[in-house]
Amino acid sequence: MGQVLVLGLINAGIYAVFALGVVLVYRGTGVLTFAQGEIGTLGLYVAYVLVTEQHLPWLVGAAGALLVTTALGAAFELLLVRRMVAADPVSTAVLTVGLGLTILACEFFFFGASPRVLDPPFLAASFTVAGVVVTPTQVAALVVALALGFGLQAVLRRTDFGLGILAASQDAAAVRLVGIPLSRITLVLWSGGAFLAGLAALLVEPTVGTVTPGYASELFVVGLAAAVIGGLTSLPGAVVGGVVLGIAESAASRYLSDANIPGLRYVTVFAVLLAVLLYRALAPELRRRLAPAPAGATA
Amino acid sequence: MTLLELHDVTAGFGAVTVLHGITMSVAEGSIAGVFGLNGAGKSVTMKAIGGTVPARSGQVLFEGEDITRLSPEKRVARGMGHVPQGRQVFPQLTVEENLRLGAYTLRRKDKGRYGPALDSVFDRFPVLKQRRQQLAGTMSGGQQASLAVARALINQPRLILVDEPSAGLSPVAQLELREVLQVVKDSGVTMVLVEQNIAFGLSLVDTAHLLQTGVVVHTAPVSELDDDTLATHLGIGKVLAGATGSALSARKGSKR
Ligand SMILES: Nc1ncnc2c1ncn2[C@@H]1O[C@H](COP(=O)(O)OP(=O)(O)OP(=O)(O)O)[C@@H](O)[C@H]1O
Ligand SMILES: [Mg+2]
Repeated sequence: MGQVLVLGLINAGIYAVFALGVVLVYRGTGVLTFAQGEIGTLGLYVAYVLVTEQHLPWLVGAAGALLVTTALGAAFELLLVRRMVAADPVSTAVLTVGLGLTILACEFFFFGASPRVLDPPFLAASFTVAGVVVTPTQVAALVVALALGFGLQAVLRRTDFGLGILAASQDAAAVRLVGIPLSRITLVLWSGGAFLAGLAALLVEPTVGTVTPGYASELFVVGLAAAVIGGLTSLPGAVVGGVVLGIAESAASRYLSDANIPGLRYVTVFAVLLAVLLYRALAPELRRRLAPAPAGATA
Repeated sequence: MTLLELHDVTAGFGAVTVLHGITMSVAEGSIAGVFGLNGAGKSVTMKAIGGTVPARSGQVLFEGEDITRLSPEKRVARGMGHVPQGRQVFPQLTVEENLRLGAYTLRRKDKGRYGPALDSVFDRFPVLKQRRQQLAGTMSGGQQASLAVARALINQPRLILVDEPSAGLSPVAQLELREVLQVVKDSGVTMVLVEQNIAFGLSLVDTAHLLQTGVVVHTAPVSELDDDTLATHLGIGKVLAGATGSALSARKGSKR
């Protein structure tokens, strides 16, 4: 049981950081972004070049990765999204799919399909919780996710521009009418989303130690599901979604491993997602039907 | 002195042209009324002034300067304020946060002016002071209307564009709103006011611009307007015109 929880929480942080990037962009722009996984993987290749090939310290590689992913998000907004102002969010979402595929193609082109080794930052520092070996980056992932999920909103509220970001997620048109440059807000949101994608990939990589094309996309798919479970617009919701999926997944692999279900991870994620969406769709109806019954009769 | 001028402004969306050449001028310190049926292009006219629907041809002059190509944000920084149709307060921010955002360009120019500006808004709208921590979306329609006006005023604009402020308000709330707009006017802020509620609008404005499918068909000081002109240009029948008549005669009697 403890083991299931610890294993679940390890992944939860990663899913949550991916989900936070999705929610950040979605809230402010109404666009669902599908490129997060590939942006994160690209960051890892940057780290690989700096750390493994150039023998620079891991932190320098991480900084380079975050710089490149953030710049990529900014460039994407400046060069493409901005020109599509009249387009509906679905078209822009499709554009993010195109971005992801382009990055994937570049990864294959420049680095090939074989795994590249990127050593974790602090090898010796891992410790054991409930019989599970836990590494510092895994703890960091959870801490980062919790801090961002529950703190980002409060931090944004402190500055006028940050408050403008929150306002843009409620009424983008009105933001311009009070004189806040909306284009600067969307620039920050797309860059911020890409930064979070890079961060999520950096936090998970040390657990595996190698990078392959499309590496982070599998995790991102779960992160996307976590964002949807959290309601797509809530930062804390994204973290809760990540935790739910992380634990569901580790519970499934613990208790259903004998059943030999291929792709158990995705089956679990899909089942939880479906359950949550169904519940959300049916809850108002259920509540309406159950409402007239006296309390207790429903239990 | 003329604060705002539109010269033959056209605007639209995609293949559709909505404004077919709007010309009007607004004197400093006055209230210009824009009246017309649903879909006549009143809101689009406001958006062409504000810049969110840029003019395709023609000119928009503000304080004598050509601002036709300026972004909406820059126009706000130059002294335009907005009370948009549907109010558009930020529902999940508090009253005070809404006001802080309203003062965005003021605070950027000089943070020191924000405190006094907030105090004066709170003096004018005591209800907002009481509810400063309340989420804007949980307030009543009338309170949200006050907040929308206050959010524009706190930035100390020279011109405010007010689009159908009375829509959806109870008669009492409409009276309160009328008071507020009158006070705004008396404080010297110039206003462009769009109203469906003709009686409400005529009780406030100095000049009326009557709009039909994207063209100003008639412009006159309120003192020279009569029911027949209104009925002809707005296509409203005698019944409704009768209702506006009292507003008109009241205005003529008061000789403001
Ligand atoms: N975003 C838009 N895209 C396409 N057409 C639009 C858009 N906004 C307005 N229109 C069209 O422009 C015309 C004028 O609209 P506008 O909103 O200015 O009307 P209005 O006079 O303000 O009416 P109302 O009293 O109903 O607010 C309408 O035919 C409308 O369909
Ligand atoms: Mg309108």
